[in-house]
Amino acid sequence: MMDNWGYVLAAYLLAFAVLFGYWLSLKRRIRRWQVQLKTKEARR
Amino acid sequence: MKKGGLGIVVFLALAAGLSMAFIYAPPDAIQGNVQRIMYLHVPSILVAYLAFSVVFVSSFAYLLRRTSRWDALAYSSAEIGVVFTWGVWWTWDARLTTTALLFVIYAGYLMLRAFIEEPERAARYSAVLGIIGFLDIPLIHMSVVWWRTLHQPSSLIRPEGPAIATPMLFVLLLNVAAYALLYLYLLKERIRLYELEGLVLRPRE
Repeated sequence: MMDNWGYVLAAYLLAFAVLFGYWLSLKRRIRRWQVQLKTKEARR
Repeated sequence: MKKGGLGIVVFLALAAGLSMAFIYAPPDAIQGNVQRIMYLHVPSILVAYLAFSVVFVSSFAYLLRRTSRWDALAYSSAEIGVVFTWGVWWTWDARLTTTALLFVIYAGYLMLRAFIEEPERAARYSAVLGIIGFLDIPLIHMSVVWWRTLHQPSSLIRPEGPAIATPMLFVLLLNVAAYALLYLYLLKERIRLYELEGLVLRPRE
């Protein structure tokens, strides 16, 4: 029986790192565009 | 639902799915604990299928109606679908190859969006690519039936019903639901981003 826990943990860590990274990038981009929108509205 | 409520539900669902995959689900009789990647791998590819199905339907709707609402849905879903497309080291296996093709098609979709400056034209071209790219999904699903592959035949979506033990099936379905919720949450956020971009870039009246 293969019990390669290192492989299993690496797969989960990699997947969650990708998903967390994508979520962070979404939040960062939303914040950036919100700032730009505020600047645009202030200039009006 | 209160602001941030869906995010908390998604976090709790993922935590429950993860702990059940490691604590409750029994090890596989042949593969042992390595098989536990199924609770990550199957939900993520199913969510990718779901995301690209949404791209397919909303791209059709965009070409018929030409409203930015449908384009927002297609573009946002394509980006999330690419994140969920599962990968592994390279071998010329039919399922791996057709899945890699899916990834390349939708990565191309995102590049097309980035390279065309005029929003209406970008939406129209990518809608066509979104529809054509979807044709790869039935090919991926049937690849294990039509060709001799390293991947086992489907054990979940098959005419005779699922071919796995009940505790494993329960944990798998729990994780599928958790990942589907995560997809909905990310989709909501990505559409919000699309709308913000539109508000900033839209010419002043």
